Amino acid sequence: MLAPFIWTALSVTKPTDVAFANPPVFTGYTPTFEAFVDLWETTYFAEYLVNTIMVAVMSTVVALVIGIPAAYALSRYPGYVSAILLIIALIFRSLPRFSVVLPMYEISKALGIYDTSFALAAALVAINQPFTIWLLRNFFAEIPKELDEAAMIDGCTRLSMLRRVMIPLLRPGILTAGIFVFLLAFQEYLTALVLTDTSSKTVPVFITTQLGQTLPMLQQAGAAAMLLTLPVIAIAFIAQKYLVAGLSDGAVKG
Amino acid sequence: MRRREFALLIGPSLLVMFGLLVVPLIRTIQWSFQKVQYGEPGEFIGLGNFSSALSDPRFGRAVFFTLLITTVVTVMILVLGYLVATGMNRLGRLQPVILGAMLVSYVLPNIVGAVSFSWLFDQNFGGVVSGIVRSLTGAELLWFTETWPNRIMVIANTVWHLLPFSMLMILAALQGVPAELREASKIDGASPWQTHRYVIIPAIRGILGFVCLITIMDVLRTFDNLIPLSPQADAIGNESIMLYIYDVAFRDGSEQLGLGSAINVLAILLILICLFPFIRGLLKEAKVRA
Repeated sequence: MLAPFIWTALSVTKPTDVAFANPPVFTGYTPTFEAFVDLWETTYFAEYLVNTIMVAVMSTVVALVIGIPAAYALSRYPGYVSAILLIIALIFRSLPRFSVVLPMYEISKALGIYDTSFALAAALVAINQPFTIWLLRNFFAEIPKELDEAAMIDGCTRLSMLRRVMIPLLRPGILTAGIFVFLLAFQEYLTALVLTDTSSKTVPVFITTQLGQTLPMLQQAGAAAMLLTLPVIAIAFIAQKYLVAGLSDGAVKG
Repeated sequence: MRRREFALLIGPSLLVMFGLLVVPLIRTIQWSFQKVQYGEPGEFIGLGNFSSALSDPRFGRAVFFTLLITTVVTVMILVLGYLVATGMNRLGRLQPVILGAMLVSYVLPNIVGAVSFSWLFDQNFGGVVSGIVRSLTGAELLWFTETWPNRIMVIANTVWHLLPFSMLMILAALQGVPAELREASKIDGASPWQTHRYVIIPAIRGILGFVCLITIMDVLRTFDNLIPLSPQADAIGNESIMLYIYDVAFRDGSEQLGLGSAINVLAILLILICLFPFIRGLLKEAKVRA
């Protein structure tokens, strides 16, 4: 499972003339970090990285702020309305991206917000919202309704009950959903490709523009991939505990 | 919960989804009946776009390729996901480490993983895997320019990317199967195979269905990984529907928005057909609850 990643790590730390040798060279060269230095000095990588993280953080926060109440409402409101809304959400999750992203491209140009992190983050909030509310609804559905009633008899309003009782109770579930939404935004390529140009480009888009260029640029792309991978590996190791726990708590029983 | 509370709580989310998903979708449907350029009002041409999409052999090839990889990948994900999750469930203390390592291919952006993956096969990058295949079989496969080797590589990459999530879901489900159930079947004299076939798999059927659904959805819109893995996708018949839309409607010099939108609409119909059994199941369940 890690082979592609290890191979990339080897390739980008080789001097350029050795990195592209065929058959591959495994020993007898001095490892170098030139590709990383080049990446930092000759491209706008730092900027792209900031864009990527900013978009992911913004869209995660907004997705949760509007998704949590919606998911709670869907888990508590009885009957057909909720079921139909959830099925519509499911259908929207499966739509071909281009069917919403191409019109967004034109709309964002008309509104003058094309190529901004704001537009990209807003698009991703919407695109990932169906998944967000599905996941969160399943967590809420696990909490017995009597708890709501008890809190409301004790004088809470619906909203303060949500804030004081539900959210603290559901912290692991919200964390799980947050990690997923963050990853979805962080990984997004297609939407970023269409909605950004130069000033809010994200790292995945940058990496593909480096492909098919000169060999040193290819190595820079590899270095960029590595720099993007390392923090994500950290996330994978920290998150796996919450992901398994969160999924077995709620999402799975859907 | 009162109706007013429901509306208040769900309002913001619905508003965002309406404005940023439904409105663009309506625009796409409008465009599909128009001859249109970016930034200009379109001209109504009826079903012209649909007939030119359906008569383009490229469309048929893209649909065939997309359905092919969707089927193969979904079957592989279910089988491998179950096997790996079963193994993982017995791991004990090492589990977190191995799980973390496995998750890397899922948390990486698909396209970045695919770039790394392509380098394993790319001769210009030493091509470790293609070298191993050559020394084992003696065959010199052209991974990027020959149809079937390229398909195998794309399928391998898709499974590599999607397996961890499915495995995680199945693992979570397995951990929810009560130990008594397993013991009981053992006492009743069931073989391990029978236990899996008649006890565990039925117990987690819901999740297997969900994993199946998610995988179908994800593979039907394959796009990202084909950019590095199949640079000549159209020429070798390995173009997905999404890549075809991109090529027709967005890539420089070919901004046939109407045609692209018509293909989008056709793709939506195809997706709805594929999802129909699942949607019907959900509706039935809703009826039972209501």
